[in-house]
Amino acid sequence: MNSQFQARQIKQIWQRGVARRQFLKWGLGGVAAATAIAAGGFALLRRSPHDELPTPDWVTGLSAAEYHLFDRARVVLLPVEGTPLVDSEAVPVVANVQTTLSYLDPATRKELGAGLSLFDNVVVFSHGCRFVDLEDAQARALFDRWGEGSVLQRTLTTVIKQLVYSAYWQEPATWPPTEFDGPVSEKWGLEYLGNAPMPQQPTIDVEQEQA
Amino acid sequence: MSQVKWQASGLQVHQASDVTSEHIALEADVVVVGSGAGGAVTAYELARMGKRVIVLEAGPYVPSQAFTEDFTESLHALYQDKGGQANSSGDLLVLQGACVGGSTVVNGCVCFRTPDFILQDWQRDFGLSELTEAELAPYFDEVEQNLSVHDNGEHEIARHGQVIRAGANKLGWSVKPLRRNIRQCGLTGHCLSGCKTERKQSMLVTYLPWAQAHGARIYSDTRVEKVVTEGGVASGVEAVVTRHDGTVAATMTVKAPRVVLAAGAVQTPVLLLKSGLANRSGLVGKNFACHPSLLVAGRYPEPIHPWRGAMLGVHVDEFMHPDKGGFILEDGGFGLVEMTMLAEPGTGKPFMEYMENARYLAGLVTLIHDHNVGAIEWDGERKAINYQLSDADFPSMKRAIKAAAKLHLASGATEVYVPASDKRVIRSEADIDLQVDSLENDPQHLRMVSYHPQGTCHMGADPDHSVVKANGETHDVPGLYVADASLLPTSIIVNPQITVYALATRIARHMS
Ligand SMILES: Cc1cc2nc3c(=O)[nH]c(=O)nc-3n(C[C@H](O)[C@H](O)[C@H](O)COP(=O)(O)OP(=O)(O)OC[C@H]3O[C@@H](n4cnc5c(N)ncnc54)[C@H](O)[C@@H]3O)c2cc1C
Repeated sequence: MNSQFQARQIKQIWQRGVARRQFLKWGLGGVAAATAIAAGGFALLRRSPHDELPTPDWVTGLSAAEYHLFDRARVVLLPVEGTPLVDSEAVPVVANVQTTLSYLDPATRKELGAGLSLFDNVVVFSHGCRFVDLEDAQARALFDRWGEGSVLQRTLTTVIKQLVYSAYWQEPATWPPTEFDGPVSEKWGLEYLGNAPMPQQPTIDVEQEQA
Repeated sequence: MSQVKWQASGLQVHQASDVTSEHIALEADVVVVGSGAGGAVTAYELARMGKRVIVLEAGPYVPSQAFTEDFTESLHALYQDKGGQANSSGDLLVLQGACVGGSTVVNGCVCFRTPDFILQDWQRDFGLSELTEAELAPYFDEVEQNLSVHDNGEHEIARHGQVIRAGANKLGWSVKPLRRNIRQCGLTGHCLSGCKTERKQSMLVTYLPWAQAHGARIYSDTRVEKVVTEGGVASGVEAVVTRHDGTVAATMTVKAPRVVLAAGAVQTPVLLLKSGLANRSGLVGKNFACHPSLLVAGRYPEPIHPWRGAMLGVHVDEFMHPDKGGFILEDGGFGLVEMTMLAEPGTGKPFMEYMENARYLAGLVTLIHDHNVGAIEWDGERKAINYQLSDADFPSMKRAIKAAAKLHLASGATEVYVPASDKRVIRSEADIDLQVDSLENDPQHLRMVSYHPQGTCHMGADPDHSVVKANGETHDVPGLYVADASLLPTSIIVNPQITVYALATRIARHMS
């Protein structure tokens, strides 16, 4: 299969959308199936300047393309100008995404990888470049539009947003501007109560029940 | 009976790190699979009858002192699939605890008895004539007493509960304090990360130490893979002990004439399917319900700090009966990470603005009486939770969202966020129908969470139309019991832990 043919197939699937009852076959699994047809063809469809950029040493559980995608999503999804919020640059957002993904079972991780590749590449049809190369405003508009789009579009945007958001907000450094207290028991010096006392139950109950 | 040896804190648990041989062979009178609500209660009841009980738990033993009160870390440490367990289409997160104590360790402490109208349905539709309100009342009384269940005191109703209660009063809707199983609540708001100072009366600090005091032995990191039978009768289980790095420490067999499955409503049917047992009806894994919940957030003019104070304070039961709507609303506290999952205020700036003002939000949890349309499947390698909100249940979901929005507005909220994939904000009564009626029952449209999987090995009198009898024993395999949330023939609308405790107590007492 040549990459142009693969790309046409993906485009058709994309445009057709997914009927409600078909969806059980989709989810991330469906996304994976769509991308598996393309099997690398996308990368040939449109190269990105990001393809040449190095990744940090700690990137062991993400492909280079995934690293760049999440790093781009971090910038697009977490703007802090004009707010007291902490710059996402100062927080290990993509490293946290990597940790979360490391907990996925291999099959789901593979499906997700395929989905991420689809997300990055499929905008070539509508925008003429990959997601990682979209301007901030274009990328944000894309997320918003896809939130109202087909099941496939909603799945991909939701997954990426949730991963990036939780990777940022799980970091204690991001909490002070919101007044979120974080862990408190130790701070408040709460005493440990230990195990509850044994119930006062005569064993005779049991024998009666058994009889 | 052997001497009772209660210890004041912690548990003696055999863990993977203690394993010294490649195979462990054990014998007992009863082997209990899972140490959550059903497993812990059964283990205690049987141990105190003098039975030799072994409890096998797939998850780790995490003592309370090790709880971090960090939700993300807790998801990874204490929850099934590190907190990522979802339905096949990925739009319903199915949360379950996976540690010694099971979901009771991470739950919100809310306690309800099974509503009588649900028991009546079970009697009528499933031949469960024994399960009357009068029959179950003593079991409920007992577990409630054992677990310090009480109505929330005024100090246990946090700011988010207070505003919701005021709004409900304004609307003339029935609103009551929630009952919870907690002693001297620390008001930390971190229930879902486990109660660090042992105030939540979870199985970790109640029935498991009590079972152990009566001689029950607990093995963590031990996943049961198969139930074994001899001559068609239960004879034990096969399990694998896995280290925390994922490597296998040992295999295990336990010989026991009684096997009690209490691995929860997702894993118990998986285990039966893997074992090829008790499925004459073809219903193992079917009949899955889960109270698909939404957390509807409202933004208030004054700070609420939804993470401060007891996590759950009051509930609105005005619409509980199916004839009146079939849902309940509970005020629910939450932290920042949970907040990111609730609403879609728009990408970029609007989202950051929403988060920056997190302290002005209060939440309402909706619980609906969903139909049992889902199925747990096992393809030989992976489990699948096939559940999509049914078209029959979608109207209840919409009614619940509308009621939550109306209640938030009456309580003084200026904005209510519909938890959908697209931006839907309600600012006045006039917006409610506009924003909610156009919702579609499509995958990935609503942001749903289930805390209450149920029903996958349901009780019933007819062996062709149910998996277990009212006494918990499977119809097909003598000696093989189910004692967890899989038992419930229909969803029960309300939070299920007390129902599981009461049924498990009854099952253990009736076990001969
Ligand atoms: C976040 C959260 C909040 C909740 N809040 C409330 C609430 O406020 N009130 C309420 O009433 N209910 C609440 N619940 C639900 C309640 O805790 C459950 O309904 C109840 O604990 C179910 O009991 P169970 O015995 O079926 O399963 P669980 O308590 O989940 O226990 C099952 C155990 O079996 C283990 N297991 C699974 N497979 C195997 C295997 N193969 N071998 C060995 N062990 C295995 C699991 O690791 C787990 O520890 C909540 C649940 C969650 C997750």
